[in-house]
Amino acid sequence: MLERRKFLGLSVLAFGVATAPVNLSAVNFRETKPNLWKATKVDDAIKELFGTTTATKGKIKLKAPDIAENGAVIPVSFETDLKASKIAVFQDANPESAVAVFDIPDNAIIDYGIRIKMAETGTVTVVAQENGKLYKVSKLVKVTIGGCGG
Amino acid sequence: MAKTRIKAKEKKGVVTVKTLSKHPMLSYVEAKRAKKEVNFITHFMAEANGKVVYEVSTSQFLSKDPYMKFKFTGAKKGDEITITWVDLKGNKDVSTKKIR
Repeated sequence: MLERRKFLGLSVLAFGVATAPVNLSAVNFRETKPNLWKATKVDDAIKELFGTTTATKGKIKLKAPDIAENGAVIPVSFETDLKASKIAVFQDANPESAVAVFDIPDNAIIDYGIRIKMAETGTVTVVAQENGKLYKVSKLVKVTIGGCGG
Repeated sequence: MAKTRIKAKEKKGVVTVKTLSKHPMLSYVEAKRAKKEVNFITHFMAEANGKVVYEVSTSQFLSKDPYMKFKFTGAKKGDEITITWVDLKGNKDVSTKKIR
C-alpha cells in the first residue's frame, strides 16, 4: 500500500528587523538612572552613573569663573578631544550633586556650554567616559551671595 | 508655542548652536520658598537632518531660562535644526530654526 505524504513547504519568514540605527530613541538618563539625581555626594553620583569612581585627571578643558557674583547664573563650559560617549557635570554646593548628563552623538564636537546654579561656594566636576575609562576635572567656584563681588 | 530662541551658524562644516529656553527651572528648595510647584527641564535634545546632534538630561540646577551652547558637524547652511525639551510636568516644546 502506497502512502502519499504531503510535504509542506514551510516558508520561514525572516522578520526583517530594521537594523537602521534608531537615532531618535534618545537616552533619557532621568528614566534610566533615577538614583543618580538623588545622590547627594559627587562620588556617589559618579558611581551611580558610571559604575566606578576611578578616574584619570585631566584631558578636559573646563572653564568656570573663579568667583561668581551671582550663584544663580554660573557659566560653565568645557571642551575635550576625547571620543567620549558620556559626559556629566556635578557640583557639591546644592542638595543633590548631578547637574547634567550629556549623551554624546557621533557627529558632535565636544565644546559645550551651560549655565548652572549653585547655592554656595563649591566645586564643579566634569566627568567624561571614553571606552569605559573615566576622565575628570574639577574647579572651585566661589559664590559671593548678595555681595558686590571682589 | 515657541519658547526657545535658537541661533545656529555654520562655519567650515561646524555648526555652532546657542539656545535660550524660557523656563523658570524651579528647584525643590526654590519652589518651596516661592510656594510654587517644582518644575524644571529634564531632557533636552537637538536634531538636524533626522539625527540627534546634542542630547542632555538635566537637573534642577541649571539656571533659570537655561542657555546652552554646543557644536556639531554634518549639517550645512539652510538645514533645519529642531530643539525638543521636556520638563518635569511633561510639558514639551519643539522649536525649529534654519542654520545660517
